[in-house]
Amino acid sequence: MKPNDSESKFAGNPRRADSVPEIAAKPDLEDPRVVLSLLETDQVVAAKQKTRFGRRNLSVGVQVLLWGLRIYVVAMLVLVVVSVIRAIHPMH
Amino acid sequence: MASVKKDSEASSFGSARPTTEIASASPVARDLVGLLTHEDLDRARDRWRVTRARWKGRGAKRFGGLRVLWLLVGPGVLVFLGENDAPSMLSYSATGARFGIGFFIPFVALTFLMGLVVQEMTVRLGAVTHRGHAELIFDRFGKFWGFFSMGDLVLGNFLTLITEFIGIRAGLGFFGIRPVIAVGIGLLVVVAAMTTGRYWTWERITLGLAIFNGLFIPAAILAHPDWSAVGHAMLTWTPLPTGHASEILLLILADIGATVTPWMIFFQQSAVVDKGMQPRDIRAGRFDTLLGALLATVFAIAALLATVPLFHHGIDASQFEGAQFAEALEPWIGHVGAALFALGIFEAGIVAAIAISTSSAYAFGEVLQTGHSLNRPVRDAWPFYSTLLGSACAAAGLVLIPHAPLEFVVLTVNVIAVLAMPPALAFLILLVNDRDVMGEHVNGFWENAAGIAVTVLLVCVGIGFGLATVFPSLLGR
Repeated sequence: MKPNDSESKFAGNPRRADSVPEIAAKPDLEDPRVVLSLLETDQVVAAKQKTRFGRRNLSVGVQVLLWGLRIYVVAMLVLVVVSVIRAIHPMH
Repeated sequence: MASVKKDSEASSFGSARPTTEIASASPVARDLVGLLTHEDLDRARDRWRVTRARWKGRGAKRFGGLRVLWLLVGPGVLVFLGENDAPSMLSYSATGARFGIGFFIPFVALTFLMGLVVQEMTVRLGAVTHRGHAELIFDRFGKFWGFFSMGDLVLGNFLTLITEFIGIRAGLGFFGIRPVIAVGIGLLVVVAAMTTGRYWTWERITLGLAIFNGLFIPAAILAHPDWSAVGHAMLTWTPLPTGHASEILLLILADIGATVTPWMIFFQQSAVVDKGMQPRDIRAGRFDTLLGALLATVFAIAALLATVPLFHHGIDASQFEGAQFAEALEPWIGHVGAALFALGIFEAGIVAAIAISTSSAYAFGEVLQTGHSLNRPVRDAWPFYSTLLGSACAAAGLVLIPHAPLEFVVLTVNVIAVLAMPPALAFLILLVNDRDVMGEHVNGFWENAAGIAVTVLLVCVGIGFGLATVFPSLLGR
């Protein structure tokens, strides 16, 4: 996908092609068109709030992986507690 | 390609998709005109600087390139220097004091390479999706798995924050500063950093503090290590550590946990988003991450070398806390060296406290769909800032409770980080391979191979720890 991004837009804009003083000037952020020309759509807070990537369908393999790792973490946390208790109260 | 369930909340704006479409050229541009926020303006200002730097650099690529790099460096350096936090630097110090120059020097470098593999993926995720890690997990995997991830993050972050304030207390304690004042100074710095109202300002302040992680370098030089032995160790990974296998395993776990932790994934991705990075900035983001990993590696090895005199003189540092390292080193590296070491521990705690409390705030804001940007003033994003400050205050308060059983936290925080990492890595690798989310920026074969290798290694190390705990005699204890 050819990016239609802010820098390409400025590069292709005849007003900006050789206009170093304009590039050096501070942007007029009071103009919402300037703000929107600098950000990708999903970077605008309002647009991001109104869109979602949506739930993906999890295959059986992925679910097994996630559940397996979750059980692993819980088991390990129990062992951490056991390890710490032994370290603090060593058995004689 | 995973099929997508259409979210019932998708409006006329449609579903999110990977795109570099500029907002002014999008079909919803007219709708967005009246909806811009202060956060959008600040982010646009930051993008303007990058655009101008790239444009000016077209005639003199190196200068333009350097200026662009300067503008885009930040999240990667911060995440790695933030991960060189108080418990991490103390892990490295304990390693140097126990085993001297040898295996652990290249091993520590290897752990940062593992961290680099992981963190590079967060740069791409953030720059392409413009969403934080917690938000993406909730979006793609649902609330059930989202809350599990958040649970790991919240637990790990809170325990780690406690150890940061222990480090702050210990570091300033070397100079005779009372704990309540030391902790208060730490909180003041966190508050000062967060009230800038600008991500750029917050980032530059925190970077300025983070560079003081380099204080361990002069401390290491003053320890007069055998540099030829250091070079030999880097090339040959010898001498190997000797002693109880369980002790060695625990230090291996602690050193890995000092470099690869779940909060780093959440923080860097959110910081990349807050910084306003775009897909064309990914290359600079990789450089930023590499720079952070390199700096952190050097500073970590310096902390290890600084305590080698304790190894040579047979000092048992196994029960040392932060200030005790500095006090024990003073006969060999002098008062200046010891003071630098103590200041380094203080700095490590401060920067990590800022970064980790910010990562918690980002995650809560993303999940609760409230404003979650350092570009927002406090009044506009008070839940975000409340989480940030509240987590720091709670951790600081616990540290001041007399006789609080904090040794449990100190003993386990890095180990817990390692053990909680595999599920976090699984979500990360699944997301970064999701073409609906990443488009053309999905992982390639080698990126997947490296990510899966890191995950498998962490699981194996964790299982080793588990076996050693359940069957201590296995390791000859």
